[in-house]
Amino acid sequence: MSELIKVKQQGEARCEGLSYQDLLDNETIEVPAYLREDTNPYMGDEDLSVDRWISRDFHELEKQKLWPKVWQMTCREEDIPEVGDHHVYEIVDQSIIVTRTGENEIKAFINSCLHRGRILRDCDGHAEEFVCPFHGATWDINGNFKGIPCKWDFSHLDQKDMSLPQVKVDTWGGFVFINFDENCQSLEDYLNPLPEHFSRFPLHDYYKGAHVQRVVQCNWKVGAEAFMESFHTLETHSEILTFTGDANSQYDTFGDHVSRSVTPMGVASPHMPEVTEEETMRDILELSGRMATDNAEGHAMPEGLTARSYIAETNREMFSELIGEPLDQATQSELEDAILYMLFPNTQVWIGYNGNIVYRFLPNGDDHNSCIFETMILMRYPKGTQKPEPAEKNILRPDQAFSEAPEIGGLGPVFDQDDSNMAAVQKGMIASRKGAVSLASYQESRIRHLHQTIDKYLNA
Amino acid sequence: MAITDTLIPAVDISDKQTVPVTLNGKNILICKANGEFYAVDNQCTHQRAELTGGRIRNCYLACPLHGVRFDLRTGQPLGELTRVPLKTYDVSLADNGNLQLELD
Repeated sequence: MSELIKVKQQGEARCEGLSYQDLLDNETIEVPAYLREDTNPYMGDEDLSVDRWISRDFHELEKQKLWPKVWQMTCREEDIPEVGDHHVYEIVDQSIIVTRTGENEIKAFINSCLHRGRILRDCDGHAEEFVCPFHGATWDINGNFKGIPCKWDFSHLDQKDMSLPQVKVDTWGGFVFINFDENCQSLEDYLNPLPEHFSRFPLHDYYKGAHVQRVVQCNWKVGAEAFMESFHTLETHSEILTFTGDANSQYDTFGDHVSRSVTPMGVASPHMPEVTEEETMRDILELSGRMATDNAEGHAMPEGLTARSYIAETNREMFSELIGEPLDQATQSELEDAILYMLFPNTQVWIGYNGNIVYRFLPNGDDHNSCIFETMILMRYPKGTQKPEPAEKNILRPDQAFSEAPEIGGLGPVFDQDDSNMAAVQKGMIASRKGAVSLASYQESRIRHLHQTIDKYLNA
Repeated sequence: MAITDTLIPAVDISDKQTVPVTLNGKNILICKANGEFYAVDNQCTHQRAELTGGRIRNCYLACPLHGVRFDLRTGQPLGELTRVPLKTYDVSLADNGNLQLELD
């Protein structure tokens, strides 16, 4: 285990009932070290000014000092499988062409013509070369200048470096990351300890089974924070309390860039002591959207078994069959709990053996009062078969509900409930007389962690 | 409505392939994507470039010149370069195994 767990923990108070670590004690399979980490260093309890989410000045600071410095997830490697395939990644007012230039090589170019500045590529696609649609200045896919019509009129460019400027690129887990900062730390250091924690889940070999996007009328951090604590389950998603150990969740932070929440599933909320194992089992299948089946029909609770065990073993059997290899070493926790990591600043990834959810929250262009919320679902496929093509992105209109995206199944109605808060939080913070928000010491500690890391960048 | 035999056997077209044909003086592109056949005008609505050889992925055909992508099912473009859809034609299989198109 890491050194971090020896530091003073955030507060002393915890909800009554079985903690996540208690549940791990009941595992019959050896529990991997990363699940035993329980680290939540004390970060204080001060209020946070609403300016962080609603002020134009704060957005401008992020634009100057945060986005130009962080590693940011742009797309999946599978989105650009062939040489010449590219993804246009836009962040605030910057635009990048993330291009596959070789079987194992990806480059990222500033998306701006060196002649008159037009963006070179308007959207994702495939190119043999980059021809500017305005006057025809052309670069090969490695960014080497190939020429411009009426060359006689451009002899003054002969002495200039006309290669397309690049930014740093690296990959992890099948995700392609970029960083605008030439002197940034390596992606490997930045991600630590994420790769180690995901070592049982080869995300690079998962395929993108769904990708849904919609604009939400709130700051990108309001969106991200809606998925960083399980405290809101009680009021926002009360229908899932019969199988969600909401207040018994564990919250961890690891260095500056990584945090996680672990919410026990297949156990009733400590707020609902009367729930039977049968109800827990039925509801988790019908409502969670993350189990191996979403139909409780034909499932009956065997005598003497807990819902948690029954669901985990059902998932083990069905996931094993799906991926064509046994999951003998999977803990029940990994088979059903909500174990959600955040990678600073705006990407969140669930662990799991199938159906791993990924969230990303991008500022909506240069607007600090809205964001682009994206969900991907990473899927496994039978060993030895060809990897399926990734799903096309389904861009919902702002007036559409997430439940109108059938490919995300049971998650849609849950997101609609979250959606009912996100824009309302932005609106309420703007109206606030208090001018600040207060955070739960423990359950909302990851939000404080996010802001403390933001401050490190803004104050650097 | 005229049904026109293309003389192209369906089995000769592989997935992600584009085949240009001239029918009644029209330059039409037959495409195969995800096992289905599609036919569209072989002229990008952005700058009239031929779409032959454009890359097909899922149900989208990309113009080789500037990369506009068109949904082969509807002809609708993605992105900002053009808002004008491609004309699409119904494709069916004739008894002799050739593809045939429905022209106006």
